[in-house]
Amino acid sequence: MHIQELILRLQRFWADRGCLIGQPYDLEKGAGTMNPLTFFGALGAKPWNVAYVEPSRRPADGRYGENPFRVYKHLQFQVILKPSPAKVQDLYIESLEALGIDFSKHDLRFEEDNWESPSLGAWGVGWQVVLDGMEISQFTYFQQVGGLDCRPVSAELTYGIERICMFLGGYDNIFDLVHGEVKTDDGVFPVTYGQMRQREEFELSAYSFEHADLGLHKTLFDAFEKEGWRLLKEHGHFLSAYEQALKMSHTFNVLDARGAVSTTERPMVIKRVRDLASACARAYLEHEEGAATPAEITGKGGAK
Amino acid sequence: MSGTQNFLLELHCEEIPARFLQPLTSDLSLSFKTWAVGQGLDFSGLDTFYSPRKIAWRVSGLLTAQADQTETQAGPPQRMCIDEAGKPTIQGQKFAEKWGVGFDQVRFEQPAGKKEPCAVVTITKAGRPTVDLLQEALPGLVASLHVPKAMRWGKSEFEFVRPIRNLLCLFGDQVVPITVDGVTARNTTWGHRLYHRQHPEPVKIKTPEAYEAALEAAGVVVSMEVRRTRLAQQVEFLAAEAGGRVVADAELLDTLAEIVEFPKILWGDFPADFLELPKEVLVTSLREHQKSFCIEGPDGALLPCFLTAANRADDPEGFVKAGNEWVLKARLYDARFFFAEDRKQALSERLEKLQALTFQRELGSYHAKTGRVVAITKALATRLSDDDEHLNRAMEAARMAKCDLRTLMVGEFPELQGIMGGEYLRHEGAHEDVWMAVKEHYRPAGAEDAIPSTPMGCLLSLCDKLDTVVGCFAVGLIPSGSKDPLALRRAGQGIVRILWEQGWAFTPGDLVATALRIIGEKATKPAAESTEALLAFFRDRVAYQLELAGYAGSVRRSALAAGWEDLADLKARCEALSAFAEDARFASLAQSAKRIGNILKDESPAGDFDGGLLAQAEEKVLAERLSRLESAPDQVALLAALADLAEPLEAFFSAVMVKCEDQALRAARLSLLHRLRQAFLRVADFSLWQ
Repeated sequence: MHIQELILRLQRFWADRGCLIGQPYDLEKGAGTMNPLTFFGALGAKPWNVAYVEPSRRPADGRYGENPFRVYKHLQFQVILKPSPAKVQDLYIESLEALGIDFSKHDLRFEEDNWESPSLGAWGVGWQVVLDGMEISQFTYFQQVGGLDCRPVSAELTYGIERICMFLGGYDNIFDLVHGEVKTDDGVFPVTYGQMRQREEFELSAYSFEHADLGLHKTLFDAFEKEGWRLLKEHGHFLSAYEQALKMSHTFNVLDARGAVSTTERPMVIKRVRDLASACARAYLEHEEGAATPAEITGKGGAK
Repeated sequence: MSGTQNFLLELHCEEIPARFLQPLTSDLSLSFKTWAVGQGLDFSGLDTFYSPRKIAWRVSGLLTAQADQTETQAGPPQRMCIDEAGKPTIQGQKFAEKWGVGFDQVRFEQPAGKKEPCAVVTITKAGRPTVDLLQEALPGLVASLHVPKAMRWGKSEFEFVRPIRNLLCLFGDQVVPITVDGVTARNTTWGHRLYHRQHPEPVKIKTPEAYEAALEAAGVVVSMEVRRTRLAQQVEFLAAEAGGRVVADAELLDTLAEIVEFPKILWGDFPADFLELPKEVLVTSLREHQKSFCIEGPDGALLPCFLTAANRADDPEGFVKAGNEWVLKARLYDARFFFAEDRKQALSERLEKLQALTFQRELGSYHAKTGRVVAITKALATRLSDDDEHLNRAMEAARMAKCDLRTLMVGEFPELQGIMGGEYLRHEGAHEDVWMAVKEHYRPAGAEDAIPSTPMGCLLSLCDKLDTVVGCFAVGLIPSGSKDPLALRRAGQGIVRILWEQGWAFTPGDLVATALRIIGEKATKPAAESTEALLAFFRDRVAYQLELAGYAGSVRRSALAAGWEDLADLKARCEALSAFAEDARFASLAQSAKRIGNILKDESPAGDFDGGLLAQAEEKVLAERLSRLESAPDQVALLAALADLAEPLEAFFSAVMVKCEDQALRAARLSLLHRLRQAFLRVADFSLWQ
């Protein structure tokens, strides 16, 4: 299946089940969770179902376009369902069937994999979904985002687009995947993932492992932080301030890929991103719902 | 008398993390047990079950109701309950009313402690039906379960390990209609996901006894033991079919049995060119990333295939096998990438980079640690051998030992530390002594693990652990009670085991002094204080080593009390003592040793005595034997002489009054006993024999 066909089918499936179809957010980020549609959407009490593709950058995963399985930038398909439906696992399985996966011939497991994003102050519990031994999705019940309890709880489904495509097509090299076909008066031209992205992988890997100016990135990190707090404190602007937190996060990832952040510094640097993101989350809730934030609602029940 | 029924409760959830299944199941059954006992509800057996989506337990022979209970209540005296005409008084009627009986059921008896007959009634409290009690108690038992990483879901505030989607609760063939977080129990549950593709209806469980069979028919083997056994059998069978044997891993087998509802082992192949990776890398990568077993051929080399579990009974189109192979190949590509990248520069080039890696705040970086380990190695190696080559190699190994902490491979698989350093050095053409020493210097990893296979590996392991243990003590990081976050006890045990098995003549006192000297100013505690704590620590480790070596309690106690620092000597004494442990004469000897100890308490006898003063035959014999004891050439001869002494000593104590009036004779006898005790103590303190 072509990459674009997979995306279109997932969008159709989730749109038919009452999801808004969102768009990627135009800033570098490590995961679809960082898109404001998820970060802010998972907060507060209002119902919120959204699905979108998110290109995700992991500088440390760059392999110069030479590794057939691992890339600097990959595509995630992200679904947020708030509150999490009772049959959410069944829904997810149906979405795979919509991609043509016949479960009478495959092995499906949900293995514990709890998700945590220290730089977003977010965590949840859930699984990696394993199809015939391969992790194809991350399935998470958000418990906290931006340091605030999620009430109600959202289910987050993250599909690894390229992996699923490779798996379905039996590809041994990510760059052989076909993104789609270009049809012109002269004929039909299939375009591969490699044609579209291999050079980009090479340059971005070289950038994060060799050419990035570390001094500049350290300066940028500090500058984004300052800018973010200024926007938040002086203007109460949590959306533009959150963008600064996203930029901090990516800048940190570039530094980290180069081993420029020591193990002792690491937690402190991450905390600086988290502090800004969490402050944005609080400001968002105050704006949306008045002063009371869900974290202040303390009614508890059930097992501890 | 009521009958009994079997009871079954199953919580059907979304996939529960494997690591919580067993603890949750046993906690639940334990809290049920405690509750049932408290309610007077006897039962004859309790079976627990769990699978990825189920936690269940079945109680057999549970009473269907509590037993009735009778109790006797006493009231006012007879004279106040019945008037002169023999009619009940108001007070008498009130007493009957109070206990809910007619006045005709009131008897008059004289209870113990009363001077006259009083009104007495016997009332029967009917036992309640078990089903009512279960219905009241079960939701609370489930909700009060301690869940280590609890979650919420949807709009509910209920917390549990994963969302509860179905409850099955049967007492006999009756549903106990409990409700937990909005889910009401019924007599149905769900089988394997695949099964329900053809069978949309839930699985009906008629009675608790029918549970396992009904679920197996729906594709779920709900007993963990059964799943593990079946997986183990298939693993063994398929490995043999491949012409090899499986690289055993009990933990992995447990994990696999915990993550599938139906146990099926799947065979996969990987391209043989990946076999150029070190065996440890393959085994670790397969285990950590793909939960797969490796198979080794008769020569110990790996075969290009693997075994893992699938959660279904078959693989109709080979997709499951192909998928697992595909993923494994991706993982091995990565491992090969790390292996190639790491070798682009010599391992030694990472030495400087260790400066940025903290070992411990006060003790500094791994670079600083390496410097200390090199110095300790130098100090000890020169005492083991005067060969310069040997010394140089040992120091080279110490210098290289931690460099692999900065490699990509160890970054990905921390458990390969040491092993990768050794492998990279081997590829660089280092001397076998050096790379083997680096490779194995984290061993023994625990009581089950062997010490390094070469003397140089043992030396490096000992020096590394010594620096860790002594360094931590010197900055006040001392394990206490159950707290030992840095695993210093394990490191200390490793040191003792190496000394014990190598028979090296270093004493713990020696080692501690050497390491403290090298740690020098980094220490924040006074050396004397650290030394005292360290010697106590090592004495405990030595005592535990004796336990591990399997010596009897009496041997261990008495041998340790006669000296513990010279491990070779301690070992010889324990061996000799064990050979005599069954000898009945030693029990008598122990008695006599205790008496000698008591007699000599508060005495300070001279070492020499005039044998001519001794008067009785029983003491003359002892004096004669003394020289034989004192000149015994080894522990075995000494023990043989001691055993022979048991009877004469008994005779001595029954015939001779040591503390007699005659001061000179008394002094001679005390000296004799003192010399005997000194001879005993060369091998053991027999007063601790029993």
